[in-house]
Amino acid sequence: MTLREYLAFGLQALRGHRLRSILTLLGMTIGIAAVVLLTALGEGARRYVTNEFMAMGSNLLIVLPGKTETTGSAPIIGGTTSDLTLADAEAIVRRSPRVRALAPLAVGAAKVSFGDRDREVTILGSTAELLPVRRLAVAAGRFLPPSDPERGAPVAVIGRTVQNELFGARNPLGQPVRIGDARFRVVGVMAAKGQQLGIDMDDVVIIPVASCMRLFNQRSLFRMIIEVTANSEIEAAKRDVLRILAERHDDVEDVTVLTQDSVLGAFNRIFTALTLALGGIAAISLTVAGIGIMNVMLVSVSERTSEVGLLKALGAKPRQILLAFLTEAGLLSAAGGLLGIFVGYLGVGALALRFPALPAQPPTWALLASIVVSLGAGLLFGVLPARRAARLDPVTALGSGH
Amino acid sequence: MIALRGLTRHFEVGDQTVRALQDVSLEIPEGEYVAIMGPSGSGKSTLLHILGCLDRPTSGEYVLDGREVGSLPEGDLAEVRSHKIGFVFQFFHLVPRLTATANVELPMLLAGLPPVERRERAAQALLAVGLSDRASHRPNQLSGGQRQRVAIARATVMRPSILLADEPTGNLDRASGFEIIELIERMNLAGLTLIVVTHDQDIGQRARRIVRLVDGRIASDVRQEGAAGRGAAPPSPA
Ligand SMILES: Nc1ncnc2c1ncn2[C@@H]1O[C@H](COP(=O)(O)OP(=O)(O)OP(=O)(O)O)[C@@H](O)[C@H]1O
Ligand SMILES: [Mg+2]
Repeated sequence: MTLREYLAFGLQALRGHRLRSILTLLGMTIGIAAVVLLTALGEGARRYVTNEFMAMGSNLLIVLPGKTETTGSAPIIGGTTSDLTLADAEAIVRRSPRVRALAPLAVGAAKVSFGDRDREVTILGSTAELLPVRRLAVAAGRFLPPSDPERGAPVAVIGRTVQNELFGARNPLGQPVRIGDARFRVVGVMAAKGQQLGIDMDDVVIIPVASCMRLFNQRSLFRMIIEVTANSEIEAAKRDVLRILAERHDDVEDVTVLTQDSVLGAFNRIFTALTLALGGIAAISLTVAGIGIMNVMLVSVSERTSEVGLLKALGAKPRQILLAFLTEAGLLSAAGGLLGIFVGYLGVGALALRFPALPAQPPTWALLASIVVSLGAGLLFGVLPARRAARLDPVTALGSGH
Repeated sequence: MIALRGLTRHFEVGDQTVRALQDVSLEIPEGEYVAIMGPSGSGKSTLLHILGCLDRPTSGEYVLDGREVGSLPEGDLAEVRSHKIGFVFQFFHLVPRLTATANVELPMLLAGLPPVERRERAAQALLAVGLSDRASHRPNQLSGGQRQRVAIARATVMRPSILLADEPTGNLDRASGFEIIELIERMNLAGLTLIVVTHDQDIGQRARRIVRLVDGRIASDVRQEGAAGRGAAPPSPA
């Protein structure tokens, strides 16, 4: 018998129990669809975070006030904290040759108003360095002017959303806005950037860091973002920063320096674990599906015992019986698997429509694994029933069922 | 040519031994028409299964066309069944989901014949049993007699030399039973060795030779003159 003939024979047998076959197939479909969808979700989350980090710029160090217990995952801030000041920032730039640029960052939230319109907006305080370090771009006007960071000029650069909400179609450049109690002059509009690490970069107003700290009465910077000269210098630069700040803070190491790689690595590990966990959950449903196939095949064999006897009487070799039942199981699982991949991709597509920002895509290994596993499960769980059928004694088998 | 010498078949049931066949010796030349008769449990089916290579003797020899087949491995036995032997059963044993044609094609499918040849030969076989117009019917759309004819078409489509029938009329009314017997008798006239197990005296009487089993032994082996089927040359006295 050729493969095609086995397939045709198996298909006929499956059609003989249409409902049962469809239900079994459905089990496999759901299992595989779950693998595809869940791993796509995990992988999407991982890519999302990676992309966000990459978009932030490269070779970055992030300095936070306070000592954190970095145990590989998210930083937990504790202990007493001395302030991270603009003077600290200036000292780092002056003393470490490995620092290419440093952008101090202060953050607050305030009502921004122009004329009779106003809006609650995130206020970022920084310097001209923020533009290159964070890979931002200006759509109109200019960014914060390069000047002494200690001097808080009353100028503001606004995001795209802020522009639309406050100015509509009017040109905002040169217009005065009120931020909290202070007056600023709009000098630039940022290019649309979208969400970045949870902040909508279009819905911010950027002002000089000193102005920001004064506005919100802050004594410490929220953080510093440092761009290092080269990737190979990151660890050395981190040591420089720690040393310089410790000297300035009475020999106490009271800041945390995160490297982009370490944060990214931590996120990567978390999301890979998440993907694996999701894949594992899905694998359980696959196993259940496989056992379902075995169950159906066992029923099928015992129901068709007399057919097996007949086939043997007609000259079927044990190997042919084995292959016939294996083909049947393989057909069930392969069809279920293919259908599952299809349904899984439909789900991924729906996800992409609903959450365009999430680059959900099943990892290749998950796709390969689900194909192998679905076929493998069918064959593996089909072997036992098929062997049972092949070994039936023809006389006994013929006599059964009457 | 079938030759059995000192054949026994024992079944172990618990710590008991059922002696289904004991010291059976028998020669059946080609083209013979034999009825195997005897009371229930006398070993008729067991003998037929061994003759059909579905079962192996516990001891003794079974030589089929000059080859000892009683101790062949399963794969070789399947080969013998495929090419030399056709079976007809009391309960037809058609595959319910397959059409008459597909049922008749089954042994050819298993033997690896190409599809075109299968189709042609199945059509011929159905024509020979008078069921050309039922080729695409499924078993549940056929009467008992028609089902048995499909089974006969299937049993003969590989052109075996031996047709074994275990109570082929046991599940049919008298009229269709006789039609079935007449059908296979015609095949016997064309040269097919025919071995029929039956309880029915009227059917047994039609055979050229009647072998009677009692308690697993051959109680009598008689040839009848003027019987319906074609007889082979009388067996040489052993
Ligand atoms: N698989 C088996 N296991 C145990 N005993 C068996 C088996 N097959 C047959 N026998 C026994 O062997 C004996 C002969 O059985 P067989 O089926 O050959 O009889 P039979 O002549 O065909 O009877 P019937 O006319 O009722 O069909 C019986 O006693 C039966 O119980
Ligand atoms: Mg019997």
